[in-house]
Amino acid sequence: MKFSIEREDFLKPLQTVIGAVERKQTMPVLGNLLLEADESSLTITASDSEIELTSSVEVSIDQKGAITVPARKLVDICRSLPEQSRIDVELSGEQLKVKSGRTRFSLSTMAANLFPRTDPLEQAQSIEIEQLVLSQAVRATAFSMAQQDVRFYLNGLLMEISEERLCCVATDGHRLAYSECATAAIPDEPIRAIVPRKTVLELSRLLNPEGGAAKVALSKNFLQITMGDSILTSKLIDGTFPDYNRVIPIDGNKELLLDRELLRGTLQRAAILSSEKYRGVRLAIDDKVLTVSSNNPEREEAVDELEIDYSGDSAEIGFNVNYLLDVLNAIDTDNARLLLKDSNSSALVMPETADTTKYVIMPMRL
Amino acid sequence: MSTDCNWPNIIVHADLDAFYASAEILDNPKLAELPLVVGPRSNRGVVLTANYIARRYGVHSAMPMAEALQRCPDLIAVPPRFERYQELSRLMMGVFHNYSPNVEAISLDEAFLDCTGATALLGDPGTIGKSIRKEVAEHTGGLSVSVGISSTKFVAKVASGYCKPDGLTIVSPEEAVEWLDPMPVSTLWGAGPKTTRRFEQIGLYTIGDVRRADSEWLSRMLGNQAINFQRLSNAQDIREVSSGRLSRSMGSDRTLNRDVSSKHELAEHLRRSAERLGSRLRRKSLLAGGVRVRLKTSRFELLTRQLALPQPTDVTDILWQTAVGLLNRFEEGKTYRLVGLAVFDMQPSDAPIQKDLFNDNGGDNGKLDRVIDAVEEKYGTGSLIRASRLGDKSAVIDQSVTLDSTDETLSDEN
Repeated sequence: MKFSIEREDFLKPLQTVIGAVERKQTMPVLGNLLLEADESSLTITASDSEIELTSSVEVSIDQKGAITVPARKLVDICRSLPEQSRIDVELSGEQLKVKSGRTRFSLSTMAANLFPRTDPLEQAQSIEIEQLVLSQAVRATAFSMAQQDVRFYLNGLLMEISEERLCCVATDGHRLAYSECATAAIPDEPIRAIVPRKTVLELSRLLNPEGGAAKVALSKNFLQITMGDSILTSKLIDGTFPDYNRVIPIDGNKELLLDRELLRGTLQRAAILSSEKYRGVRLAIDDKVLTVSSNNPEREEAVDELEIDYSGDSAEIGFNVNYLLDVLNAIDTDNARLLLKDSNSSALVMPETADTTKYVIMPMRL
Repeated sequence: MSTDCNWPNIIVHADLDAFYASAEILDNPKLAELPLVVGPRSNRGVVLTANYIARRYGVHSAMPMAEALQRCPDLIAVPPRFERYQELSRLMMGVFHNYSPNVEAISLDEAFLDCTGATALLGDPGTIGKSIRKEVAEHTGGLSVSVGISSTKFVAKVASGYCKPDGLTIVSPEEAVEWLDPMPVSTLWGAGPKTTRRFEQIGLYTIGDVRRADSEWLSRMLGNQAINFQRLSNAQDIREVSSGRLSRSMGSDRTLNRDVSSKHELAEHLRRSAERLGSRLRRKSLLAGGVRVRLKTSRFELLTRQLALPQPTDVTDILWQTAVGLLNRFEEGKTYRLVGLAVFDMQPSDAPIQKDLFNDNGGDNGKLDRVIDAVEEKYGTGSLIRASRLGDKSAVIDQSVTLDSTDETLSDEN
């Protein structure tokens, strides 16, 4: 294998795939990147055996071949070279020589056939979704995914694709995010897949809203998304996602329309003196006023009032302030709609205009 | 009586000497002159406590009984009577409460007392120490307690161990640094065998060495623990005596009379442990945030699996079911000699609780637990058992020794 490439051309696919490499591997070869050079392109692949990222770049190849080299070291080498450097790469015996100007590296290698590749998807159905649409839906929901929860099916994002509709749902049991959007795609049969957390995070990094359509292929256990020169292939979570419709409240009888920025400021101020461990704040709604208060074990207190257009029954409900702030950050309209019932019932938060995005937050007993 | 003591704090650490063994001798004075351990009589258990005569043979707590018998063939092994130890412990803690409103019980046989500002009432530290020791002996019928007094918890604790058994050591704040200097690094709180080895590798053998070491260099060598160790070496310890402090974990381990491999039997042992832990949690008004199962293989390999609960709980059945679920995460086909269950990440039961979208916790089980607690409170532990256990013929379960533990190492949470 032998080729010559400009630093920036090399770095782009490297940075695209490096996220798949774990710091600690189950197999040594998974700490490596697979480099494959054919006639006119270089393809780089990284994997953690659950998720595989592949990215290609056009480059003139002097000699074809395939080999694996330590992933982080190769990325660090490319990063450290001066901008616009020309990098010469050549496999020589069992070492990969990387040369640029007066800098020379010899990297250890492992054979390409040791690198575990995912098999091509069987019985997959394939649709096209605009990257813009997909990235918005992921951005609106991904923050609510669970992390290392016992309920393993929550450690990911539910994607449902039925006729001309893409639906993303994420929940960690304390809060839930739901977002649906229109797509041109019409799958043969409705798709319902739980995409693992790490895959979702990599995906949101890779999606390019201006990059046109992404090709999404799904089989029973695998997902493959092709975005331009890059391909993400991932195992799916084999589990049953809870019935989210059941927990989206429909009986909230106290509706508030709140200025998102003002509410955010109020919550942020109250958050300063909430308990660091529980992050609880109290929301009290009364005639024309919303009072947000907090206190902590040091017996410090914060109270912040917000004028509101409300004249219904009063109520007092506790929430983890982080969950409220996360939602306000994800909403992109000037005002947010907040629907409450009582101190034991979940709150529903929506953008001002659409009900295609919904956020459910369970209260906290304070 | 001197009242011109100008210490910033007066912290007392009191520790019963060889508690379980001393308690047995108290009730059966004939044992006093013999090498004695408390622990299951079978070859399979571990030593819970050894008296000072047995210790001369190199027998110590946590040593396998078989090894202890090898070292000292005349060893007398007495099975533990935890109810009796609890009773004695209560008597001792009662004495402590006469000396301070702020008593932090570390375990059955050990406590910190904050006697700051009480010199006018109680006398100087020396007087306080002598009178605590005398009163504990009187109230318990003769148990000896070693006492260390200084102005920080760390120094007080080192002091009480300094002239064990039956000793009293007082270290004034002025002399504390000099007094600590020659002690081995392993004396430092938080320095286990690993850290001690690390200290020695970098040429630090005494507390004085640690105190004099360059802080930046020490941080590079030991990471963020360094500051803490250097603080302790300077006899500084910001930890207060706090009676309401939360323990970090609570455990109930059972060393089995014979090796067990079937999941069903392991699950039964876990049930017993879950019942004990559940009732301890409820008694202390605590909820557990996580469950940990520990199994020791017949080859003394210690395996651990743990899980955070979606919602904190004190419900026995949830603890048990979570533990049984964890059993699936152990490799199959091994045989085990010890089954342990622990709960961790505890919080007061009136602390804020984040409600869950999918989980309606508790319900009737919580009620059942409270009824069982009430019956056992009145008629004694074990007076009520689950019908599912009636058919259980493995008498093993009842002979296995349960060792309850509470780990109260410092937790930063309120």
